Amino acid sequence: MIKINNLHKFYGNGESRTEVLKGVSLNIKDGDFVVILGASGSGKSTFLNVISGLEPADAGTVCYDDKNICEMNDTEMTLFRKDTIGYVFQQYFLLPNLNVDKNVKMGADLTKNTNYRSLIEAVGLADKKKKYPHELSGGEQQRVSIARALAKQPKVLFLDEPTGALDEATGRMVLDLICKLQKELGFTMVMVTHNQNIARMANTVISMNSGRIVEEYTNSSPQSAYEIAW
Amino acid sequence: MIVSIKDIFKMIGMLIVSFCAVIVCAMFLNYHLDLVTVENLITTELSRNFYKAQLSTARVVSGLSGGCLLLTTVVLLCFYIGHYIGTHQKQLGIMKALGYTRWGVAKHFCVFGLPILVGTALGYLSAHLLMPKLYEIQNKDGYLPDVAINFHPGLCAALVLAPTIFFALLAVIYSFVKLKTPALALIREQSSHKIVTSKKDRDRPFLDELRKSNVRQKKSLVFFITFAVFCFAAMTQMSCSMDELASEMMSVMIMAIGIVLAVVILFIATTSVVKANNKTITMMKVFGYSAKECTSAVLNGYRPWAYFGFALGTFYQYILLKLMVTVVFKDLSDKLEYKFDVPVMLITLVVFALLYELIMFAYTKQMEKLSVKEIMLD
Ligand SMILES: Nc1ncnc2c1ncn2[C@@H]1O[C@H](COP(=O)(O)OP(=O)(O)O)[C@@H](O)[C@H]1O
Ligand SMILES: [Mg+2]
Repeated sequence: MIKINNLHKFYGNGESRTEVLKGVSLNIKDGDFVVILGASGSGKSTFLNVISGLEPADAGTVCYDDKNICEMNDTEMTLFRKDTIGYVFQQYFLLPNLNVDKNVKMGADLTKNTNYRSLIEAVGLADKKKKYPHELSGGEQQRVSIARALAKQPKVLFLDEPTGALDEATGRMVLDLICKLQKELGFTMVMVTHNQNIARMANTVISMNSGRIVEEYTNSSPQSAYEIAW
Repeated sequence: MIVSIKDIFKMIGMLIVSFCAVIVCAMFLNYHLDLVTVENLITTELSRNFYKAQLSTARVVSGLSGGCLLLTTVVLLCFYIGHYIGTHQKQLGIMKALGYTRWGVAKHFCVFGLPILVGTALGYLSAHLLMPKLYEIQNKDGYLPDVAINFHPGLCAALVLAPTIFFALLAVIYSFVKLKTPALALIREQSSHKIVTSKKDRDRPFLDELRKSNVRQKKSLVFFITFAVFCFAAMTQMSCSMDELASEMMSVMIMAIGIVLAVVILFIATTSVVKANNKTITMMKVFGYSAKECTSAVLNGYRPWAYFGFALGTFYQYILLKLMVTVVFKDLSDKLEYKFDVPVMLITLVVFALLYELIMFAYTKQMEKLSVKEIMLD
């Protein structure tokens, strides 16, 4: 369970100081699939970065099973990231000078997961293990980054617009893959998107607008990646 | 503007290196030129030998430090421009795609001559300020007639104008060659991840793999770091062993140059490694690798090369001093002996190790501060 309480985040100093998160509270159940929806600039990425411990909050608490990550020091934070979170970015951020196998190994080595090659197969890239990121299409790169994040067997997977740079067909395929892997492995998943249709796939939907949660509801029957409109 | 003032400002390293080169060369070459004018006034055999030895030392010192530092500046400049183009590939690619010609872009790179101009001019001026002292020390035993300080316009041109023009041209030509890459490849930043694979694909841990691939990828950097430590080892040890062979001022100067050079180059090299690996380091942090693991993967691959450079520099200075004693001073009445100085070597090694680890430590601290936000906004 992730308990987020009254989170505030500011950017800039003096005149240009703006409040990007204006007191956000939320509970995320273990194994849930949460989609955070909102227009560009509404603070979704900031929210995701703060609750995953990538950026410090200015006020409020984020507790993972009663451990408040806002009070952790550097060593504790490193350990927390290693054991708990996986992250998938819109821009993939693969390591350019290592091949697919080694990129996924980056995640696997952290938790001594020797079975990571099965994940490369699961994302359908078994025959591209030796390829380098610039030799892959966007969709393939995103699948590598998903395999990399899951190779460390995270308890929570954060995804920031994972299909933001992909076309419809590739986007659907990537989303389908993520959902299947989540059902199979049972991790908690928090995904940010500005595409309202993708929200139909989630169990829980959070709508954000200018730094606040404006709506929160659960889907009684989530749809698959091939059933939703795009 | 293709190359901004801020980019030029970052080239303070080149300014320092060219300053060092010119101050030493100007002093000793000027001395050489002035010394020749008093040749006719020398009468005794002893003075004649002393005179010859002085001329040789002036040549050796200016040749040694000047040549060494010239090479360093060339390497430094090529490295810096390569790095600059590497990090600005996207922008340059877009300009090419928009129809700028290769010349149109490359000609702006001549501003890279500016730090050289400032460095050499300052070096030349400082040399003239220090000259009275040098002339006095070189002739403190009074073997020679008084040597007057003269201004040699030719020397000024050769040490200030020529390098400036040379390096400005070098920058333009080098960038012109580098910009041969097609626009699209620049925009996609392909050349920055030109992949160099090892033949054997062993199943190494990720951190080892990253370390190896970093070193494989940046061969120029390996050369650079080895060279920096080579200079450091050679110059500091030489200056300590030389106090019998030359004036104290010379030893102190050579030692200072050795240290400055090593620090400047190590600093530039490390900064560029860390900058080039910004995204990698941030991703590793996001995944839960500690700052220490990041430093180790990104920077530790160069450590063996640094110590190799040290060994090479030690060997080089030994050979050089041996030669100098047998060739340059062979005419002097009291024969000088030169033996390898073990304590000096050990002290230099310890100083070097401390310096190296200090720089690594500073970068580990800096890596702790890197935030995800920065690379995402990139
Ligand atoms: N480093 C920063 N400095 C100043 N303002 C920022 C910074 N990062 C984000 N912002 C601002 O915070 C707001 C929210 O950004 P973000 O969380 O990226 O939104 P979203 O992901 O929903 O598009 C935006 O208005 C943006 O301009
Ligand atoms: Mg965003």
